[in-house]
Amino acid sequence: MAAVALVVFLAVFFTRFEAGKKFVDEFFNWQIFKKTMPYVARGLWVTIRLAVISEICILAAGLMVALVRISRVKPFRFVAAVYIDVIRGMPLLLQIFIVYFGLAYMGLNLSQFVAGVIALTICYAAYEAEIFRAGIESIHKGQMEAARSLGMGYLKAMRYIILPQAIRNVIPPLSNEFIALLKDTALVATIGLAEVFFRGREMMGKYASVTPLMGAALCYLIITLPLMRLVQYMTTRLSMKD
Amino acid sequence: MGSREGRLSAEYMVEIVDLHKRFGFHEVLKGVNLKVRPSEVLVIVGPSGSGKSTMLRCVNGLEHATSGHIYIEGVDITDHKVDINAMRQRVGIVFQSFNLFPHLTTLRNVTLAPIKVRKMDAAEAEDKALRLLERVGLKEKASAYPAHLSGGQQQRVAIARALAMDPDLMLFDEVTSALDPELVKEVLDVMKDLAREGMTMMVVTHEMGFAKEVGDRLIFMDDGNIVEEGQPEAIFTNPQSPRAIDFFSKIL
Repeated sequence: MAAVALVVFLAVFFTRFEAGKKFVDEFFNWQIFKKTMPYVARGLWVTIRLAVISEICILAAGLMVALVRISRVKPFRFVAAVYIDVIRGMPLLLQIFIVYFGLAYMGLNLSQFVAGVIALTICYAAYEAEIFRAGIESIHKGQMEAARSLGMGYLKAMRYIILPQAIRNVIPPLSNEFIALLKDTALVATIGLAEVFFRGREMMGKYASVTPLMGAALCYLIITLPLMRLVQYMTTRLSMKD
Repeated sequence: MGSREGRLSAEYMVEIVDLHKRFGFHEVLKGVNLKVRPSEVLVIVGPSGSGKSTMLRCVNGLEHATSGHIYIEGVDITDHKVDINAMRQRVGIVFQSFNLFPHLTTLRNVTLAPIKVRKMDAAEAEDKALRLLERVGLKEKASAYPAHLSGGQQQRVAIARALAMDPDLMLFDEVTSALDPELVKEVLDVMKDLAREGMTMMVVTHEMGFAKEVGDRLIFMDDGNIVEEGQPEAIFTNPQSPRAIDFFSKIL
């Protein structure tokens, strides 16, 4: 009953009242949507490529940093800990600027895409290193002892015994990080990479309408919503197995 | 090869000389001296906290001796230059908590170290693993994961896993303590077979029946020292020290 009343109220508001009609016209203008959406959606390919390529680098770098972070060599541990804390204590936006403009001042002119991959990798590797570390430390120490007692060296024991179990445990949190990364790729627009958000903003200026931004929002949701469901599904599957 | 012959000619499989182990300010082992001959079954008993597990763990380098020496087949493993991974291949250990690898099948648990450490051919390693699993009565469980095995079965797989490296010495660290009572016998039976086949064994246990039946020698530890040493039967029936008298009166 209440739901029906709400629907009726909203329908009346958006079609009969001036304020409501103006809102729909600004945010969901079908004509502008039709004109701008193909252009905005083409940025999706850039966004996905940026996220996937970065994620591959992040996983490799994050795992390395985690292994250094738990190394028995104290100076190594210290360096990794400093890296993780400093990076996590700074805005990603700032890191993107530092990488892109900083390297440009050094005479290294990277494309916006490459600078984006580097900045996202530097930033997210710090977070994912902590996730990997938690995963490794959650494995009972008897596993390492059993592996070492069979004559395996530390690295072999890590590779064949500890990491396979640890990585399985951290798949859900790593997937959540990937979703966050996908959204954060929008920040790379600030250095001029023509991905989804950049194109949406461009069209917003051209047509003086918010609708292209809503189109950009739609682009992100098309990817993130199914991904979130997938993570949920994997999490329940994994916890059922235990 | 020369070193192998050197080891074989050593009179003792294990020789522990004045072994001390400290955790922080707490001294767990206070100068242990012990010799184990090849094919001997040494049973180690004592109250919890007496240092028996720590001593066992020192023997394959899971704990580092604070001072003293441990010779395995004549090689001093407390020497930092010694190849600890090579040494561990000759010393198998079975833990109280099994510590099977949960992400691997039973067969893979047994074949992993021979393949990855000894570079054994996969088919050969599997043949051998199946023979070992048959020996512990679990050949039909080769493709099962540890989570689907009972505690007794897991522990027998753990024994097979250790044996796959062809150790000269086997360490057993309270291997039946985590088992339901009805599962203890199947594990002890495997250990008795091993003893009969001439395996050198150091067994930390509370199973006095086992100690009596297969133990060649028994040591009683208390507070980081070996307090009594001798024939199991003799120590059970006639302990000398007050601590041992008290201990055996409670558990026998």
